[in-house]
Amino acid sequence: MNTLRIWAVSRKEFIHIIRDPRSLGMSIAIPMLLLLLFGYALTLDVDDVPMVVWDQEGSQASREFVSRFTGSPYFSLREYVRNYRELEGAVDSGRALAALVIPKGFAGKIESGREAPVQLIVDGSDSNTATIAIGYADGVAMVYSQDVALDEIRRMGGTELALPLDVRPRVWFNPDLESKNYIIPGLIAVIMMVIAALLTSLTVAREWERGTMEQLISTPVKGRELILGKLLPYFAIGMLDVLLAVLMGEFLFQVPLRGNVALLFAMAAIFLAGALSLGMVISVVTKSQLLASQLAMVMTFLPAFLLSGFMYAISNMPKAIQLVTYLIPARYFVALLKGIYLKGIGLNILFIEAGLLTIFGIMMIVLANVKFKKKLV
Amino acid sequence: MHSEKNNKAVVVENLERRFGSFIAVNRVSFDVAKGEIFGFLGPNGAGKSTTIRMLCGLLAPTGGSGIVAGFDIRTQSEKIKANIGYMSQKFSLYDDLTVEENINFYSGIYRIPREMKKERKEWVIEMAGLTEHRHSRTSILSGGWKQRLALGCAVLHEPPIIFLDEPTSGVDPISRRQFWDLIYELSGKGVTIFVTTHYMDEAEYCDRLGLIYRGELIAIGTPEVLKTEQMHADVLEVQSSRPQEAMELVAKLPDVKEVALFGKRLHVVTESYESARQSIHAALSEHGYPVEKVERIVPSMEDVFVSLIESRDRAEQPQEEVQR
Amino acid sequence: MIERIKHMLIKEFIQIFRDSRMKGVIFLMPIIQLLVFGYAVTTDVKHVATAVYDLDNSVASRELIARFVASGYFEITAYAKNPKHVRELIDRGDVRAVLQMNKGFEDDLRVGRTAILQLIVDGTDSNTAGIVLNYSAKITGEFSQKILATRFSRLKGLPLKPATVNLQTRAWFNENLESRNFYVPGVIAIIVMLITLMLTSMAVVREKEIGTMEQIMVTPITPAEFILGKTIPFALIGFADVVLITVLGVFWFEVPIRGSLLMLFVATALYLMTTLGVGLLISTVSETQQQAMMSTFFFYFPAVLLSGFMFPIANMPAMIQWLTYLNPLRYFLVIVRGIFLKGVGPAVLWPQMAALAVMGVVILWSASRRFQKTLA
Repeated sequence: MNTLRIWAVSRKEFIHIIRDPRSLGMSIAIPMLLLLLFGYALTLDVDDVPMVVWDQEGSQASREFVSRFTGSPYFSLREYVRNYRELEGAVDSGRALAALVIPKGFAGKIESGREAPVQLIVDGSDSNTATIAIGYADGVAMVYSQDVALDEIRRMGGTELALPLDVRPRVWFNPDLESKNYIIPGLIAVIMMVIAALLTSLTVAREWERGTMEQLISTPVKGRELILGKLLPYFAIGMLDVLLAVLMGEFLFQVPLRGNVALLFAMAAIFLAGALSLGMVISVVTKSQLLASQLAMVMTFLPAFLLSGFMYAISNMPKAIQLVTYLIPARYFVALLKGIYLKGIGLNILFIEAGLLTIFGIMMIVLANVKFKKKLV
Repeated sequence: MHSEKNNKAVVVENLERRFGSFIAVNRVSFDVAKGEIFGFLGPNGAGKSTTIRMLCGLLAPTGGSGIVAGFDIRTQSEKIKANIGYMSQKFSLYDDLTVEENINFYSGIYRIPREMKKERKEWVIEMAGLTEHRHSRTSILSGGWKQRLALGCAVLHEPPIIFLDEPTSGVDPISRRQFWDLIYELSGKGVTIFVTTHYMDEAEYCDRLGLIYRGELIAIGTPEVLKTEQMHADVLEVQSSRPQEAMELVAKLPDVKEVALFGKRLHVVTESYESARQSIHAALSEHGYPVEKVERIVPSMEDVFVSLIESRDRAEQPQEEVQR
Repeated sequence: MIERIKHMLIKEFIQIFRDSRMKGVIFLMPIIQLLVFGYAVTTDVKHVATAVYDLDNSVASRELIARFVASGYFEITAYAKNPKHVRELIDRGDVRAVLQMNKGFEDDLRVGRTAILQLIVDGTDSNTAGIVLNYSAKITGEFSQKILATRFSRLKGLPLKPATVNLQTRAWFNENLESRNFYVPGVIAIIVMLITLMLTSMAVVREKEIGTMEQIMVTPITPAEFILGKTIPFALIGFADVVLITVLGVFWFEVPIRGSLLMLFVATALYLMTTLGVGLLISTVSETQQQAMMSTFFFYFPAVLLSGFMFPIANMPAMIQWLTYLNPLRYFLVIVRGIFLKGVGPAVLWPQMAALAVMGVVILWSASRRFQKTLA
């Protein structure tokens, strides 16, 4: 392995990159874009669910019940509807996601200590939002029932009866349940996979398509020198992206970084090497830029985004899919990221993930070397 | 035997390359002496590029063997690459890099020692006439300059053998001449040059030639030998009016082996030029084609080539019929 | 003119499908995405790994734990021995929640004081954590309610229960709140955009990069014919993918399709106008396939993320919500979900169809204009 040749390849690759400022710009801009989107715009948290109310009774009790909903930050009253057709229209058109229907006789039942049914209709198409909205509504109804009961007891017994059971929750690592604290660390893994897909997946294929590879393979340069030489500049860009992400996380989004920063960067470097090498493998094997770009999407970005635990918890997935996620390197890196950022834990707990990532990195580099042949066919 | 091979830059024995059922190179055997300019002449699709790629270790042969610079093309292709220079048919340097950057790159790849780097770079730039363009991107260079630059990059490390695959295709005649001046210069220094071409006039510049057609080597020798010994016939040049129609008439004559159109004239291949000359004269005058000239000429490479190909085709036809 | 277009189509198809791997990617990718979105992506939270740290070990504490287990949302996977053990379990990620009850829990309940359940939740996954908190509140609330009822009747001396509100929920369009019904129709939208966008932009630029474009431009082909020849194959592939995903979605994943298929195809055609147009636009500003790919992703990521496919638009900051009005994917998603789940038709969806149509025409037209300019 000759360092001079590796450096010659790297230098050439750097020149290519600089001469294509648009791609270079985008390899910085796209991660920033993702960070900004996830930090500011995107959330799975639900509030202000648009709601319509059909109060068939209009009594003081029903109005008080409704006010529990309108007063809560989770719901936002859009209008009062007067019949079923109006209700249906509101939900069908998407103007309302939930409809509360209070039948006649509500107040009477409450007064006489019976069970008062109330109907909640939700638009189930967005099942996530619907589930959460139902959860909120259940909560509101439950609190209302408890208040009614306590009032009743107070009136009759005269003594204050305390609430029998109370939950005192303590949320560790992310006390305000800020979803960005949970998303931004994992996002770093996704970003790196995207960079790998965008940068290295095309580099070798491009030389095959343009014919410059033919000249290269007629020289004594070794396959591993070529691959390593090509990896270096993209590695530099990738680490720059990591730095950017960490800085943005720290200063823009105030995501707490409780663990060891050096460990974070070290793990990022290992993961990046593996991700870039994966991109390289795709490039080496496909020899076609069009195909490489499609494959890169499927093999790097998609699994990192959906199956790594970044956004959707692996523990909620069906068992079969959970097994598949063991094969996805981003999964381990996401665990590392969340652990280092939020839990502040170190290698003593995360050594398995770190080890597996190292193995992944090595495997990919080896694979790229094995697959690259200095022959035309 | 061994010492004989040591004198040879390239030795090829029954070299074969198949692509599926298509045989691109069909059991070709030849050798190239050190310091020789060896030309591989043939039409497009004959198998020239495929052969050269096998010799450079870019393509593995499916049959036969070869030695280049003393190394086996099947098992020692990497050693070969350290000792040769290659120029592919399509321009394959980087068009978003400047002239100088391309040279720097290949300097690094060939591990030119630091002391020599500058010297070699300047030599290449001067040889290619690119002093004014050293900082220009190669994408703006014209064809001729691109080829010279590619040649320069191929000889940066002063290899003993260089392989040039149709180096002058698509280049203007003046640039072609200049390019061949460069080749002579290199040959003068003892470099063995293996070049493929489909320009018949360039064939005359080579020390020895191999004629390749449909994957087969149909003739090999110096240009003179090919023109005299291979051609057991004479060539007559006929100048008359309406040459295309005249050709049909002449082709039917018994003395005439082949006739082909060369520009506005006819080249007639015949075993006995005296009788042919007379019969052609007679036939043409009889049918009202005023004849300006019928005279014997020295066959050109093109004549040789066309003649060899046509006799080859004729030889194959009866075989096909028998098979049927 | 038809002849020339037809020949361009044939050439394009040959080029695309010559490489069998390309075929694989074009048709396999939607299937893979479908599988992932159909099975893996779910925000339903069930069987949360939970540890129990019960210092009281009484009938009452055990009953509460049993209620948690019975709900189906929690799964007891560990019994903690001491606070350090609790910390370890959460640090390692072995459990997401810990139910802790101190000594005296049952006593508190009997005497009429408020008994405390300490709930420790791992907040690193805030979505799951929030849902866990909700579930816990519900379970303890019900338990509390039951105890309250008992005390109430004891107080009154009568088996009277206090009034309660019984919230009956019905989910329209997606009765069992299956996430796949939400995602699968959406997958159509994002796959079609990805494939048509990437193929169109890169296929055109590829000709520029390899140099074959020059050769084509020398022929009598007009720019319009060239554009049609380049976009129609990808439109057809887009339609093929729509069919593929719809068939798989309906027959394998049992996603309902209640609206009109005809409308689905009309809407797809309008949508394709926008995606092909954007692809073409990208090709006019890109010199190399690398640039085309980057630009495609630069457009695609925000388009998908800000479309309502995964993240509800209503929860985005106001300014971003305004931005999404420029996103064709947003409208197509509404249409697709409307057709599959809600069973509504043009009467309800005409605004979205109109928006797509307008955007399609504008984008395609300006892309063609730009394209012709770059050629001249």
